[in-house]
Amino acid sequence: MSTLGTAIDSLTAAMKCNILPNQEYLLQGSVLDQYVEVLLHRLRGLCDNVDSGPETFNDHELCYSLRINSANAPCILPLRVRRALDVTDAPFQLRYVGQPELGDKNRPTVVRSSIDMACSSTILEFLNELGCRLDFEYISRGYMFRKGRMKVTVSKIFKMNGMSNKPSEGVEAISQSYLVELSVQAPLGQDAIAEDMRIFAEQLRPLVQLEKIDYKRLGNMMS
Amino acid sequence: MQQREEKQLESSLESIIQRVNDLKASLSSMIMKIETEYETLNWPKFLDNYALVSGQLISLSKVLSHDKCTNLRNLTVLPLMLSPERDEQLVQMTEGRITTFSYDLVPDYLRTKLEPLAEQKMMQLELKAQNLQYDNAQKQIAAYQKVVSHVWDIVNKAREEWEVEASSRGSTQQNSSVADTHLLVAAVGMGKNLKMGGNPNGQPNPTSGGMMVAPQGRPGGPPGQGPIPPSTQAMSMNKAPSAIKTNIKSAAQMHPYGR
Amino acid sequence: MGVTILAQFPVENKTGPQIIEVLSKRICALGATPQGQFLVDCETFTSVPALGHQRTVHVLHNSEQPATVFALLETGTKTIPLVTDGLFDLLIMKMISFYQSKKHTKTESKGPRFEIGDFSVKLGTVNITSNFKGILVEVEYKPCVVPAMCWDLIMEFMQGFLGSSGPTAPPAFLQNRMQEIYSPIDTIQQYLEHFTIFRKSTGPTMVMRPQQP
Repeated sequence: MSTLGTAIDSLTAAMKCNILPNQEYLLQGSVLDQYVEVLLHRLRGLCDNVDSGPETFNDHELCYSLRINSANAPCILPLRVRRALDVTDAPFQLRYVGQPELGDKNRPTVVRSSIDMACSSTILEFLNELGCRLDFEYISRGYMFRKGRMKVTVSKIFKMNGMSNKPSEGVEAISQSYLVELSVQAPLGQDAIAEDMRIFAEQLRPLVQLEKIDYKRLGNMMS
Repeated sequence: MQQREEKQLESSLESIIQRVNDLKASLSSMIMKIETEYETLNWPKFLDNYALVSGQLISLSKVLSHDKCTNLRNLTVLPLMLSPERDEQLVQMTEGRITTFSYDLVPDYLRTKLEPLAEQKMMQLELKAQNLQYDNAQKQIAAYQKVVSHVWDIVNKAREEWEVEASSRGSTQQNSSVADTHLLVAAVGMGKNLKMGGNPNGQPNPTSGGMMVAPQGRPGGPPGQGPIPPSTQAMSMNKAPSAIKTNIKSAAQMHPYGR
Repeated sequence: MGVTILAQFPVENKTGPQIIEVLSKRICALGATPQGQFLVDCETFTSVPALGHQRTVHVLHNSEQPATVFALLETGTKTIPLVTDGLFDLLIMKMISFYQSKKHTKTESKGPRFEIGDFSVKLGTVNITSNFKGILVEVEYKPCVVPAMCWDLIMEFMQGFLGSSGPTAPPAFLQNRMQEIYSPIDTIQQYLEHFTIFRKSTGPTMVMRPQQP
């Protein structure tokens, strides 16, 4: 009888074979509220879930960070929790998202490391007690489409009212546009998918300009 | 001499037959498409087929009018024997269209002139044209030209409008706003404008992923006030006017092209 | 998934393999059939001093739930359980500058598993960084999910093949949640309880029992 390997053994094996989906390829853009119907219509035509229609979602996203403020090298680990407000028995989603890398001009999308996992609802208390700080939170409502491995979300971002017990009440949209994101979770080095994404993004022009957004420049620009 | 002419006739017939066969093949494939793929067939595909057929017609007529080609009009086809019996070889040659080489079919197939009825009609029309007054004809031509040029204008105008629309869609931010994209991405990615209101100042700047973001544009702050330069207005909390502004701008950009 | 009770079996100057063999024979004599192996492992991480008061995260895996990772956070005042999936192991590696693996605490319990009627029985040899520490016997009664309703049955069954070494009272962890619906994390909590005891002890743990004549 073969003996069982530990879970860490199989994880290390999976990492060696490079099958862990730990990278996110990402393109972002937006569409003005009055044109969102046109975009949804086009996505309905382009994407896989044609007959079932787009999936709607109403999620609460909480962005935490674990940090040590040492003088020479501040250490920050951002963690995000997403929970569905409309499907109460759905698992919560815990997510680590790394620094987005723009790469050179030839790379069609932003790439960032990403670890995504489902978890129990105790995660909020778990992170609080772990030493994480809640940096900000928001409500994201919208539509999700699939096209092969690609995921397209069209979402309206709402600012919270500050009442954490009633997260969906008294919220306020932060802009008159919908955020549009095209993403794929894949193992490291599957750059071919980025090319597929570029082609797909091309099909949504000029309605939405899905682009590589430089977070660093954005940070400087908006401050 | 005779031999040379015969050779020439043979080679020209061969090239004509080849072109006619090409034409036949593309016509039948087009018919096939119309019959079987009418649900998925689109205009570009259909027009491609049409272009192919018309190209083949042109090349056929070029072959026919070529110097080296024997003038077929000067040749006679003489049916030597007619028979009411079924001719298998003929059936095969014509792909099952003609079964007998009989007296009632031959006049139709070997015809070199128009049908008597059509010929009569042509004669009538030619006569009418000859008897027409010069002034009248001029008038009619002018009227006809007017109609054609009018249609031509309409089509041109429509095309221009289409092109303007397409180019303006491509070049201007009609459906989306870059400012909004940046605002949304900064909010979702870095918590811009989403940070808790009661964030004490003593705390380090709330950042995400190690990027420093100044806590500007606090929720609840007076919109569009203070030292925010107008250029960054779209990114301040005063979003409602900014989006409207963008719309007006894009609408204004539409006009210079139009008419 | 039913209710699981975990009990320590006294070593009494025998080696681990010897005890496992004896218990395997007993359970097979009752009509059980061997059903492969099982493994429960635990690694413990502690917070770095810069993060404030010390907290401990135990990360456990159970081969019965191979796609799941269990994490238990001890703050000193309470324990927060978290059930998540395999990639949590990857995340904990990312936390290296905040939570560090405690040296020489890698603990596992592994051994054969058996099926007998509605019960499944697992005979685990506990090792801490490959040093033998003791034996843990796990019994699961599959048709029921409320501990209070099947505790007596499980106790009787366990005493049937463990003799007087079988448990006589519910595990401490379960005592104040006997009426609640049992879930896999409860098994993990029991394992952690026992692992913690093993870690504090030195050498194979002796359970004090009245000597058999």
